[in-house]
Amino acid sequence: MSLVELKDVVKRYGQNQVLNGVSLTVEKGEIIAIIGRSGSGKSTMLRCVNGLEPIQGGSVSFEGTKVNDPNTDLRKLRQHVGIVFQSFNLFPHLSVEKNITLAPKVVKGVAPAEARALAESVLRKVGLAEKIDAYPDQLSGGQQQRVAIARSLAMQPTLMLFDEITSALDPELVGEVLKTLEEMARDGMTMMLVTHEIGFARRVANRVVFMHHGKIWEQGPAAETLGKPATPELETFLSAVLH
Amino acid sequence: MIRDFTLNDVLYLVAAMRWTLALTAIAFIGGGIVGLSVALLRVSAMAPLRWIGTVYVHVVQGTPLLAWLFVFFFGLSIVGVEVSPWIAAAAAYSIYAGAFLGEIWRGCLQAIPKTQWEAGASLGLGIGAQLRCIIIPQAVRLGIPPTVGFLVQLIKNTSLAAVIGFVELTREGQLTTAVTFRPFTVYLTVAALYFALCFPLTQVSRRLERRLHVAR
Repeated sequence: MSLVELKDVVKRYGQNQVLNGVSLTVEKGEIIAIIGRSGSGKSTMLRCVNGLEPIQGGSVSFEGTKVNDPNTDLRKLRQHVGIVFQSFNLFPHLSVEKNITLAPKVVKGVAPAEARALAESVLRKVGLAEKIDAYPDQLSGGQQQRVAIARSLAMQPTLMLFDEITSALDPELVGEVLKTLEEMARDGMTMMLVTHEIGFARRVANRVVFMHHGKIWEQGPAAETLGKPATPELETFLSAVLH
Repeated sequence: MIRDFTLNDVLYLVAAMRWTLALTAIAFIGGGIVGLSVALLRVSAMAPLRWIGTVYVHVVQGTPLLAWLFVFFFGLSIVGVEVSPWIAAAAAYSIYAGAFLGEIWRGCLQAIPKTQWEAGASLGLGIGAQLRCIIIPQAVRLGIPPTVGFLVQLIKNTSLAAVIGFVELTREGQLTTAVTFRPFTVYLTVAALYFALCFPLTQVSRRLERRLHVAR
């Protein structure tokens, strides 16, 4: 059984068909980079995996559990699927520690004393141990995004989703976030990342998925697919991104 | 018999303020409970619940508070239900304040970006926990100034309860005027007493806002 399985997923916003029959499987330990033009449906596909987007057709399953089944307890499922957003979405009224420990305490019932230790350990992973008592607005964009990653890690997810997490960052801050991702990759985390960082995708991802017009247009091993695109659409896209 | 406006009359006016305060407290507590429910209905994911909230707000905001007081006090007694002035006032003011507080708080809840709900949901928090731990704490900070602003309105609107027999501050002023024929002095005193209630509130609101901001 694959960790994630999307089958003929269809997603519409009113008349606008965003996903047009998308099928994809992800195995445990894989790192999948999802690329494509804006509007090609890559973020939407990612958000279908943890049920943030209801779908109109097909099926999405995670560890064999159907995500789009109304009887599925999404709260339970989401404890195993972390997501990091482009705009960080930290809780501005809570300190870094509270941001990280909120869900473990409320959802998993972790004791306050243990929670602090948990926050310390995930912050060490993203290199921000000294910021545990800071508030989000005291941090740079790159630091906020690393806290957001730590917040997800604190739930000890099986799968991590990354939705263009470096797109809102100043160029000089992108590196620190990508470095954090690379370390997670080395630890064997299963990851699906929507990204515009083609170089990073080539270096870190096992597989590249190119989306176009709401479909998976082309996919394959990262270096091969990016080095020798099989479709003119991917070729055009790559030359536009890499100019 | 006409007599002078004396210190004793001032003391009577001050004493009448307790009814103004009691009415305000009842209205605010009742209105708070109704208002929170209305606000939650109006941000609900289920359309029928939102409609109920919307209709409620439109109906109540489009009718005078005085009419609600009459309905509960005189209206119900016509159909044979005897209602004490306290119950009638509590019901009418809760309905009235609930609509306005509901709208104020709905605005505050909706001012919190949708991505905050999403971030909570993605971490496995249910709707209740998202509201309790993420949305409401942020909305409260936004809600303090308009809520206190409305509370000040409420204090002044308790004078309407005079029509169903409450001798609160304004009514006491009327009675005093009737025996002293000194409307200018009496109503100026009444106004000063209202001001003494309302002004500190706006000051507290400012301080609270500042403190909550620093503590985030």
